[in-house]
Amino acid sequence: MTVLEYLVPRSLPEAIGLLERHGPELLVMAGGTVAMPLINEGISLPERVMSLRSAGLTSIEQRGDVLSIGAAATLTQLVAQDGVALLSEAARNTASWSIRNMGTVGGNLFTPPPGGDVAVALLALDARVRLSGPHGERVLPLADFYTGFMTNALAADELLVEIYVPTAVGETAFIKFGRKHANTPAVVTVAIALQRRDGRISAARIALGAAGPHPIRAARAEAAIVGSALESGVIERAADTAAGECRPFRDAIATEWYRRRMVGVFVRRALEKVVEQEQDDVGEGE
Amino acid sequence: MGSKIITFVLGGREVEVMVKPMTTLQAVLRYQLGYTAVKEGCRQGGCGSCTVLVEGEPMMSCLLPVEDVAGMHVTTLEAITPADGLDRVQQAFLEHGAFQCGYCTPGMIVVSKALLGHNPRPTRQEIVDAFAGNICRCTGYEPIIAAVEGAARASASKAAQPG
Repeated sequence: MTVLEYLVPRSLPEAIGLLERHGPELLVMAGGTVAMPLINEGISLPERVMSLRSAGLTSIEQRGDVLSIGAAATLTQLVAQDGVALLSEAARNTASWSIRNMGTVGGNLFTPPPGGDVAVALLALDARVRLSGPHGERVLPLADFYTGFMTNALAADELLVEIYVPTAVGETAFIKFGRKHANTPAVVTVAIALQRRDGRISAARIALGAAGPHPIRAARAEAAIVGSALESGVIERAADTAAGECRPFRDAIATEWYRRRMVGVFVRRALEKVVEQEQDDVGEGE
Repeated sequence: MGSKIITFVLGGREVEVMVKPMTTLQAVLRYQLGYTAVKEGCRQGGCGSCTVLVEGEPMMSCLLPVEDVAGMHVTTLEAITPADGLDRVQQAFLEHGAFQCGYCTPGMIVVSKALLGHNPRPTRQEIVDAFAGNICRCTGYEPIIAAVEGAARASASKAAQPG
């Protein structure tokens, strides 16, 4: 263990001040579920680490039609909130109970694929992230936050402090496909949020995890379903399109070829799930 | 940047330890304080053998710098075990043969206690979900699940007894 100092700020201004003082060499950690395994193994050798666990960033509250999630809110808190069902479902399908008690929503946005299932749901929900630094704050769409594999739009002196999720989400579906049922890295994760007007899809977001260098939107597949009533032919076409446009990778969990095939299968199943849910709702209304 | 003194409450008793920065709670419990129920398994948060309760909630002590539990309540298997005899969950593990080598057992029992604390009559699926982060390579999990179901039944029948 080479860590010289572990900093535990008690407020956001204190955390921003410490980051400014120590610069980009400071490793910022929240739940520790990604950073600590690397430190324990000696793969990551930071001299200074700052914990965001006690910096007052742990609340989840609904303000108007937006769910505001503190970056250091735990995944267990996210399971428990009842503002956005898709987020509870995504959190429930992430890691294990003990890890969800530690891992944070903000941290999930920094988890390299095939981890980071909650981030996939957040992308489908068109979440925005609040970044805070010594010279002020800015809010970005999550889609603009990611810039590459383990790179993002954060400036060296900024922290990701809050996540905003609109609660009027429309119809949603979430499927995580892994090699076992629970506590497993994804082969592929699919999160979908759709709006409908007069029975036709007016807006669509299809987010994919483990299918690119970071959670990505399947923009061409989205375009393929907008204007449709999710007929089976449209769903097949959208699934094929998503499989074609995704950018999967090979790792110990799955090959690139297999992931691409599974993107097709699980985009189709997620869209079929939306159709089934809608039919159930119509059935109950009769 | 030298060592620091950290105080927390371990099994109801205040303890004070001197640690280097970011020493894990797992290392403090097992190597400084001799709480050997807390195993050093994978050190990745992947096996669950180091599970302890922090403020009553299960966490992987191998991923937790001890500084983060300053002032908090930490519970290990040692605190769950009564001075005389066994806790109801331990008894149920014994009756159902819910361990072979025993390495995962402390973590399993700690998680079981937390689960039954939250949810005295868990369904089979809820038990399975609770154990998703605890690996057992011997038993195939079935006797462990049966033990938790047995402990829940034993609590329910005890609660139903008059007086």
